[in-house]
Amino acid sequence: MRDLKHLYEFEKLLLDANNELVQKAKADGGIALGYTCYHIPEVLLNCGNCFSVRLRAPRTGSMDIATYYMSNFLCGYSKAILERAIEGGYNFLNALLSSETCSEMNRTAEHFELLELVPEDKFFVTFLDMPFKIEDHTVRHYVTQTRVKILDKITSVYGVDTSDDALLKAVEEHNEVCRIMTEIGNYRKEDNPRITGYEYHTLSLVSYCCPKALILPMLRETAEELKTREPDAKKNYRAKIVVVGSEMDDPEFTSLIEDSGALVVADRYCFGALPGRQEIIINKDEDVLTQICLHYLKTSQCPRYMSHEKVQERRDYVKQLVDEYHADGVMYEQLKFCEYWGYERALASYIMTNDYGVPTAAVDRQYTASASGQLRTRVQAFVESLEIKKIQKEKGGKKNG
Amino acid sequence: MDNYGKLYKEHTAILKHREWRGFKDTMYDYYRWLVTWKDMIKMVLKAPVSTVKGIWRYRWMASYLSAPSFIDRHVAGLRGPQLRMAHLHYNMIVKHTTDLINLSLKADEKINPCNKISKKIVLMDEIVPNEVFTGFPNLIPVPLQTLPIFLSSMVDQQITPPYLEVTESFGVPADVCPLPSAEAGVAIDDDYPKIGCCMIGTNMPCDGSIMNSSFLDRRINLPTHFFGVPLRYDGDDVQEYAVEEIKSLIAFIEKQTGEKFDWDEYFRRMKDYNKQLEYERQKWDINKTPYPQMTGACFWLYRIFYFNLSGGTNERFLKVDEKVNKIMMKAYEKKTPVSKEMRHRAVVWSCPANYYTSFANWLENCWGINVVMDMETMISYLEIDTEDKEQSLRDLAKTYQRSIMRKHTKGGYKNVVDELWRIVEEYNADTVIMYDQISCKGMDGLSGIFDDQARERNVNFIWVQQDLMDPRTISRRDMREQVNKYMQTVLQEEPLDASLLDFEDDLAW
Repeated sequence: MRDLKHLYEFEKLLLDANNELVQKAKADGGIALGYTCYHIPEVLLNCGNCFSVRLRAPRTGSMDIATYYMSNFLCGYSKAILERAIEGGYNFLNALLSSETCSEMNRTAEHFELLELVPEDKFFVTFLDMPFKIEDHTVRHYVTQTRVKILDKITSVYGVDTSDDALLKAVEEHNEVCRIMTEIGNYRKEDNPRITGYEYHTLSLVSYCCPKALILPMLRETAEELKTREPDAKKNYRAKIVVVGSEMDDPEFTSLIEDSGALVVADRYCFGALPGRQEIIINKDEDVLTQICLHYLKTSQCPRYMSHEKVQERRDYVKQLVDEYHADGVMYEQLKFCEYWGYERALASYIMTNDYGVPTAAVDRQYTASASGQLRTRVQAFVESLEIKKIQKEKGGKKNG
Repeated sequence: MDNYGKLYKEHTAILKHREWRGFKDTMYDYYRWLVTWKDMIKMVLKAPVSTVKGIWRYRWMASYLSAPSFIDRHVAGLRGPQLRMAHLHYNMIVKHTTDLINLSLKADEKINPCNKISKKIVLMDEIVPNEVFTGFPNLIPVPLQTLPIFLSSMVDQQITPPYLEVTESFGVPADVCPLPSAEAGVAIDDDYPKIGCCMIGTNMPCDGSIMNSSFLDRRINLPTHFFGVPLRYDGDDVQEYAVEEIKSLIAFIEKQTGEKFDWDEYFRRMKDYNKQLEYERQKWDINKTPYPQMTGACFWLYRIFYFNLSGGTNERFLKVDEKVNKIMMKAYEKKTPVSKEMRHRAVVWSCPANYYTSFANWLENCWGINVVMDMETMISYLEIDTEDKEQSLRDLAKTYQRSIMRKHTKGGYKNVVDELWRIVEEYNADTVIMYDQISCKGMDGLSGIFDDQARERNVNFIWVQQDLMDPRTISRRDMREQVNKYMQTVLQEEPLDASLLDFEDDLAW
């Protein structure tokens, strides 16, 4: 396939959290609001002259200082963010919006405050209290939290317009990004997809890490380009898989999978598009903020939700993705030391295999995985097992197992 | 007693003979040892068939046979009023536990199918304190994990590893906190009694316990309500949600059982709860003085036990508290020394290891380090209103936000870092025994900050690594060694009892 016109540009933007577009937006008077978790509604951080930056720590090397502060036993993502913050990599931020959704990232965000890591006068860190289920009173609680700790705060500190009109405008822009990403993502359902998992991962990441207004023109152009893009006649993969799991902002991980013979057709992980890039539908009758919050609560696939219906929905959703994207299997990935996904990947992969009949592999990985030979071997073995299953199926033998 | 270590048999740490504490104290201790056996035998006689079946059916049941040894470990070195107070507390723990075992086995549908008691039981996650159930006097709240794993792991350090192996074989990583992991192991192994008409799950205390609920839920398979307690609990902005959660919990129980919440009974029991709290705070006040009267493990063990398992539901706890209070006040007035020699006043911080609950006794006997306050004891000390319904629920909600392993590890670093220094100052402590529970992500995430701030304050800050439920990772001996090294190399002190410096107890209960 021909390279995407902007792919190199996108890759370049992912080499730094404070990338060219972030710098441009800041120079234009934008207010940079950092966040790490899906439960901080991205769209709210794009009100008025604010723009959201989902934090990554590209090109992470040593994490010695973060390890001193947070021990050896915390996940690489939370430590890499702290290390980068100590290095001054997030000095461009005006605020960090956080939530106590997982202990590890919560502690990272607290270090921004404790060590006064960002030398910006008005810089603040705020922490949301997130509910664990969806009921009327928990939705009200979430709305209160977002109003008090996000909207009111950015208004009082930076004078940002957070009126309903401003929210609706942000939703409109957000929805355009979502429409484009969904349109592009739908090509992954094709028999021989015209876009690779790596490319889509890269597009998805820039849509989270760059100011929306500045990245949108390039995304629009890419969507247009893809309409006529022809895939290679000969398929470049041996099996299609859905990747499900914890935080993953390293496109090299997807590249590693694809170099090993699998094509990633759906990305059900933090920083992925499923969920994350679904339009927010707003009606005129109900409160705008409540509708936004409800959207995030309903679409979240985070394993911290405990209620039966949410747990069941998580598994059904993965099965739905397997069917819609014609995948041969599911790879559950977990960032090492992630407490949530440590449990989820064990139980969910068991259930997907045994109850849903979908072949799965479960892997844990480091924050930067590009050089992992072990991981490559695991993926190769999984691809081979999927091929064997396909052959068995064609011969009418056993389907799963 | 000097040379206490010589009483231990090698590896098993079983006592060669009972400790000589002088005639009167030895006789009292021996009498209490007999009372423990009496309570255990009484439990068997109440339901002999169920108990025997339980011992055959459940791996964890046999661990409770070592309860007398558990008490011996925790009263080692105690004399006079301290010995009496400790025995009264431990005996109450034994009595309540034997009742709970008796009830669980009688109601267990695996052992006694079609029994009627099971339908009156509301099964709950052990971290949900009992207070709310006082409004349902016709129902019996039973904490799911307490008997099979939480208490048994305190009595017998060997009981957890098999369950951890089950969970790890299932695919859960070995680096998660071993408490929820072991609880999941019991579920995978089908080692929970089958009891109850419905189940209350919770998001307390931490991420691991949230996640193991999927494993428990899959095995228990009862109508379940998940009770959410706010994490960022310091703000007023979460209190309405917290109260709504309690109301929704009550509504669920009412719907599942057909019972109605009895406010009069609830208020009556909360009066007991408040009285118990008053006794608790007196213990704390005495410990702030130069003459503390209750140090060591008894302090926190009894505290977490009655806070979670009684919460005003069992009047016997209050009677024990009254007795202990009298002994304590008398001893304080006489300025009775709490132990042979108190060299250091210590605060213990972070979660203690279940497999070494008597660590504080060892600190006291070997090094003269007396624990005057600890994190587990310092849970909610808010009184609960007993007249106004809405106010009472608000108080109850705040109490739940400050429950075991929750109050300090959640809601922001101030609750655990700033709170430690406040307590060190208030209790005039010169030493902090800082547990490094290696799998606790919430505490691990602040390790550097603790170090930085300890240096600024110039306190003896002794890190003790442990793995909460897994003695294979860091053994009891390894834990002792870390303190020995600090005391000998940094403080250059000599032990009070050199025979306790190093001994093997890897095969002990």
